[in-house]
Amino acid sequence: MGSAHSVPAEMRELADRTGFTSEQIEHLHRRFKQLSQDQLTIRKENFDSIPDLEFNPIRGKIVHAFFDKRNLRQESDGLAEEINFEDFLTIMSYFRPIEMNMDEEQLDRFRKEKLKFLFHMYDSDHDGKITLQEYRNVVEELLSGNPHLEKESARSIADGAMMEAASICVGQMGPDQVYEGITFEDFLKMWQGIDIETKMHVRFLNVDTIAHCY
Amino acid sequence: MEENREGHGLAEGKILSVWIFLFVAFVLLPSIFRVSLGICHCYVKIVIKMLEWATLQIEEGVKKQKAMALENLISTGSFPHAGIIQRDETPMEKEVVGRCRGCFSLADVMYFSKKGCEAVAEDEVTRRFSSEELLSWNLLSRTNANLHHVSWKLAAVWVTGILIRYCLLLPFRICLSVFSILLLVLATTVVGQFPNGRVKGWLSNQVQMICATLGVRCLSGLVHFHNRENKPQKGGICVANHTSPLDVLILASDGCYSLVGQVHGGLMGLIQKSCMRTSQHVLFERSEMKDRHLVRKKLREHIADKAKLPILIFPEGTCINNTSVMMFKKGSFEVGGTIHPVAIKYDPRFGDAFWNSTKHSIMTYGFNVLTSWAIVCNVWYLPPMVKEEEEDAVHFADRVKAVIAARAGMSVLPWDGGLKRKKIKESFKEEQQKKYCQIVIENGSVGSGNVC
Repeated sequence: MGSAHSVPAEMRELADRTGFTSEQIEHLHRRFKQLSQDQLTIRKENFDSIPDLEFNPIRGKIVHAFFDKRNLRQESDGLAEEINFEDFLTIMSYFRPIEMNMDEEQLDRFRKEKLKFLFHMYDSDHDGKITLQEYRNVVEELLSGNPHLEKESARSIADGAMMEAASICVGQMGPDQVYEGITFEDFLKMWQGIDIETKMHVRFLNVDTIAHCY
Repeated sequence: MEENREGHGLAEGKILSVWIFLFVAFVLLPSIFRVSLGICHCYVKIVIKMLEWATLQIEEGVKKQKAMALENLISTGSFPHAGIIQRDETPMEKEVVGRCRGCFSLADVMYFSKKGCEAVAEDEVTRRFSSEELLSWNLLSRTNANLHHVSWKLAAVWVTGILIRYCLLLPFRICLSVFSILLLVLATTVVGQFPNGRVKGWLSNQVQMICATLGVRCLSGLVHFHNRENKPQKGGICVANHTSPLDVLILASDGCYSLVGQVHGGLMGLIQKSCMRTSQHVLFERSEMKDRHLVRKKLREHIADKAKLPILIFPEGTCINNTSVMMFKKGSFEVGGTIHPVAIKYDPRFGDAFWNSTKHSIMTYGFNVLTSWAIVCNVWYLPPMVKEEEEDAVHFADRVKAVIAARAGMSVLPWDGGLKRKKIKESFKEEQQKKYCQIVIENGSVGSGNVC
């Protein structure tokens, strides 16, 4: 009959850890239940029921990111079969906007986390490096919808981008040097000066408690 | 002893006759002459007062300032966009812009991953297939997921509400609906015996309308009809947005239509058969629905005969939750003829009219409707529209859809209602991808591929 007066302890803990308010968590919980069809966990197939997501060219990578154990802050590696609500919130928290009251250190950590999320999306074999092939994969996926674009053109775009990345990170390379791949530190270097905070966030509304119902 | 029993018998007889008299006077006669005694109107006003009070009670338990804003919203009955995220509406072109030709930027992945996260957090389509969220609790336990205690007064009102709805209104409504179905079956059998002609036609129209009005009364339905001068004429096609099977009942209480639908079994089948006896409805077997040419042929034949009643069609094809209008299937817009659009908007405070067929069976839905406060809705008859010369059916369908959505205050979605059960078509996906490619490639020529 209205809003909750006492917030359960787990909710507060979740709120502290992920940075969402308890109302936002409640709202997201409803969304989770809708996606999981009232089960306790979500599997990859549950993401098929989101029509808006079908539009996205890197849909596969996004869904993958939800199940990537590295993003879920678990010690082990690889992909999880299913995720529960806590994991769901953890992934969503990567897209939180920056808050006014964050200090330098927090901002820096926040930025690193977002970039790490992006890095994991590129690095599909989980070896800690983005190789040329992996880079090509991402570019090809993004451009895959265009029937007029030949694979060669996509490839040359990726190669060009990779060379540029190499020159930023390693400087001039000798003719027989092989560039193994972009490590996370190199990745961070590439993003220096580019403002990601405004690009990589979703504006979660502060849904204040007006007596809302199901 | 004998006298006692007689005494009882007399008393019972008296009570029964009083009930019958009340019933005939207050329910049956007004339905026959389609006059409203204003009982429903008063009842609805009382319910509104109660809901406003309840909301204030809830607010007192939370924050005082918000109460004022909420009162305004309730009195206007408006429903602002309540979602969890505010979508970034910057189009793809702006985000991915401002770079050299053929450039690919790592930031593009960011844009798409953001869009992906927004889609996962909330999407416009699946929201429409579940019941509309209310701004404030309407004292029905089914609309409140967390039954937290706010105040004793509210709890008392809620319990009284339950008693009234389940013990007083429900039995009355069930009796009335049983009565009206029986009446329909009987009356149509009787009228069916008449020889075909004008008298039969007129009688069958009256019977249909009376039974539909009775049906609406059984739900404590309060329907406001607007712009009656635009009511669909014979030989036209009437098109409306679809929220529940009640739409048919509501429209039938104000006019006679030929219905297009699938053949059902059970109770619905019985009602369908009775209606078929007296007027000309177009019913299909499930297998025939797939044959679109057959459907179109039958529709064309029907509207060509100007003496036949207007056809009622719901082009969305499925029930949507009354906050938006989804894609209109073009089939009914291809046959020609005048289209009479009708907009139906339910007031969600009194009860949820939306039938979520994936969640509830028809019986559960019926029970939910009979135990809600009331069904209050507005029906607007819109001016007739005709397909223009160079227009194709899809464009015409969209035009009609926009008019209906604008009148009822609902948003327009280009999506197919069939998404409730099916997956999205491949061609939609490719459109978005093509757009991105175009921006990066710019007319097919590839640039130096710099990271910008």
